[in-house]
Amino acid sequence: MSTATVAAPAAPGASGVTMQTPRKVSPFNPANAVTASRFLTLPPLYWAIENGHHQYATLFILICGLLDKLDGLVAKVFNCRSAFGELFDAITDGICYGFGLIVVAAFGWAPWIPVAAIIFLGVSNTLMRFVYVRRAGRATNYKSYAMERLVAYTGYLIGFATGGMEVKFYYWAFVPLMAVIIAYDTKRMLIDPIPPARPA
Amino acid sequence: MNELMSPNAFKWFLTILTGGLAGVWFFYDSFNLIRTRNLDRSDAIVRDKHFGYVIGILIGIIGVVGCLRFHGVV
Repeated sequence: MSTATVAAPAAPGASGVTMQTPRKVSPFNPANAVTASRFLTLPPLYWAIENGHHQYATLFILICGLLDKLDGLVAKVFNCRSAFGELFDAITDGICYGFGLIVVAAFGWAPWIPVAAIIFLGVSNTLMRFVYVRRAGRATNYKSYAMERLVAYTGYLIGFATGGMEVKFYYWAFVPLMAVIIAYDTKRMLIDPIPPARPA
Repeated sequence: MNELMSPNAFKWFLTILTGGLAGVWFFYDSFNLIRTRNLDRSDAIVRDKHFGYVIGILIGIIGVVGCLRFHGVV
């Protein structure tokens, strides 16, 4: 079982000086369980879209989005934050929202061109995250304030399609925004110096 | 299979969920941007935060405009 190592304060040593000792955080922790549970919303989402149940589809993507918010809270409560957890969360975002976007486009609930552009940019961003991890030489998540906001928008995008709410407007407005953020993050991930590891 | 609510209620549910969050988000990131305007922009983290706040403001505007379009206001 692989583990992620994070720094945590230890009890004062014999010398009376507080030492920083590494604390092992198992990848099988409550926060990652919440993150993984998001995959359970995908089959019912597909079922709802396939059978034309707009409201149920909206409900399932809403649950997926709420679980995304919940895992961070669980990590804080159970003190099980880890670099692996952050990376797993980012990958889960990509898979869940990528799946949702493809399904709504496949059933004609969302326009194909912006969805294809979003998927392409999303995959590019994921690949760059792997390059960033290789550059850093450790399991680390590239933190982007802009991308965090855009990921929330992505969850909503699927909801706009399932709810039939100004679909073209929201999808076409998303693409240039995402392109600008990817360009900005590309520079930071591939060119700019990597900040030192921060304690969990 | 019955739906969860009436079409009109669903429309307003989506509007509140989207417009409410987008509106709050707009003011929240505007406040953040103003609050951190004097920080040192040579720091990459500060630049990243400012960029994120601006994107948040734009997303907030898009969200509210979409809601207004949804109800035929604009």
